[in-house]
Amino acid sequence: MAAPSWIRLRPPRATLLILLLLALNISLSFAANFEGFDSDDLPSAAGGLDADDDEEGLDRVDLPPPPPISLSTSAPSPPVTTTSAPNPNPATPATRDPTPALDLWDEDEFEGIPVPEAIPSDDSAAPAEADTSDPSAEAPAEAAPAAKRSPAELLRAFSVEIACVSFLICFVLNYFTGKRQNENIALAWATKFATRDSIFDKNFSLLGTGDGKDTPLLLKEGQDVFKFYASGRRFCQGMLATMEMRARHDLLSKFVELVFPRKDTITFEVVMNEEAMDHVILAVARKKAAKTMQKEERDLQRFANVLTSAPAGRKWVSDELAVVAESKEVAGDMITEAVLDQVLGEKAFENFGKWFISLHLSDQLAGSYKKVLTFKFVLPDASNMSEMTRLVALVPYYIDLVGRYKLSSHARSKTDGARTKAAQEAFKEMQSARQEALQRKKAEKKKLMEEADAKLSAEALRKKEEKERARQMKKSGPKVKMLRS
Amino acid sequence: MKEGSSSGGGAFAGGSDPRQPSTAKPYAPPKLSPQDLPIDYAGFLAVVFGVVGVMLRYKVCSWIAIIFCAQSLANMKNFENDLKQLSMAFM
Repeated sequence: MAAPSWIRLRPPRATLLILLLLALNISLSFAANFEGFDSDDLPSAAGGLDADDDEEGLDRVDLPPPPPISLSTSAPSPPVTTTSAPNPNPATPATRDPTPALDLWDEDEFEGIPVPEAIPSDDSAAPAEADTSDPSAEAPAEAAPAAKRSPAELLRAFSVEIACVSFLICFVLNYFTGKRQNENIALAWATKFATRDSIFDKNFSLLGTGDGKDTPLLLKEGQDVFKFYASGRRFCQGMLATMEMRARHDLLSKFVELVFPRKDTITFEVVMNEEAMDHVILAVARKKAAKTMQKEERDLQRFANVLTSAPAGRKWVSDELAVVAESKEVAGDMITEAVLDQVLGEKAFENFGKWFISLHLSDQLAGSYKKVLTFKFVLPDASNMSEMTRLVALVPYYIDLVGRYKLSSHARSKTDGARTKAAQEAFKEMQSARQEALQRKKAEKKKLMEEADAKLSAEALRKKEEKERARQMKKSGPKVKMLRS
Repeated sequence: MKEGSSSGGGAFAGGSDPRQPSTAKPYAPPKLSPQDLPIDYAGFLAVVFGVVGVMLRYKVCSWIAIIFCAQSLANMKNFENDLKQLSMAFM
């Protein structure tokens, strides 16, 4: 009879235990919250807890210092709790008595239950604090709404959430407005330069990334990259214009751009036909940018140098600009009077220089295509798109200029030499790479053979060795004779 | 002036139309391998902050993770629509 009754009793006990533990936790957190209100009751508990909660600790400064015994930051301190009925009785003495564990142990019939909690907190205050700090640090925010606080306090408790949510709302709003801004700029560019009877319509038979007539002109890649493709023109295979906008849709990037300003850029890449481009390597950019280009672009680094002086007796580019070219002849022929007059000359550059970034013509570009003309410009606002008309006009102009251009025989011999040299080096590199691969293969084969040899039985090895020795004897015999004769 | 330069290609060719419909090639988007894609810093940061937030139970970290998540989503290109980071950060 006793056993079943015990068993029957057991589950409620277990639940009670859990409830008590929960209540302990909750009451602890409440104590952390409300200890300011019943300060005269628990100076010791506050003293023990103020390591966790700085604000409460500050409030506490002018109160008399806690008694020295109070190192025991026993958990069941709060008198406020009405839920945990059995607790308050032992709690108040627990704070004052040096042996709170025993009290708990005796008065409640939950034998051995509070011991694991009480004893460590008695023995070593520090780990107990560490244990309790977790729930108490977490609890205030969760306990806050339950204990109807004033709006100001609520605001303070949820300041992080409020800030983050409002930022997210701003982010979403900015996403849509920024997206529309970027799209507007791209559309303004397309209507200006790619619609009927515009520059690109007159020069290319296929506009847009599709193959039919009703395909959209622009290809959107992400929210800040737009592409425009055109093809079907003499001398070139196709032209790809890539507009890279500022990340207007991204609020965080916008903040970054406040520190590191960026501009909307457009890059035209024209892939020339193989037979339509002679040996031309030329780059024009602002002086600083030209130097970095000369260092970074492999073709410029290899074949070209920064021109220090203009060709004699000619108008030349603006002082802000530097020309990187393979030879003076090429530079002189490529930068024609018309180009100087329109964009790169001193006078024109004052007006249009702000839209110009760089120009790079090369027949040795590192990449999937070798013969490529690259133009980089700054995109104006959607409303002043016509300001870059002259710059855009450079693209078809240079396609024709380069397509028709033939080097003089004298310059050609020079560039031929450089290119054959480069080709030879590339060939050598390829060969060495191939040889390396071959050697690696051979080494692998050898390894395999050796492994196979090791697998052979000792006898077979001996036989083989004998055979080899015999062969060598045969070989060495006549050789000696030959030498003697 | 502008007109002159814009039709300059045509003028150089002796008035003939520079267009050659026969040589037109449709656009072929360049093949991109996943390794060549630019690193998604925002997504990476979102995951880092998300993990830190979960591990150390800092709410601020989790919120920052959500914000970076939003940034990574906003910067997402068409092809890389993996929402792994999102779920990671929301945990």
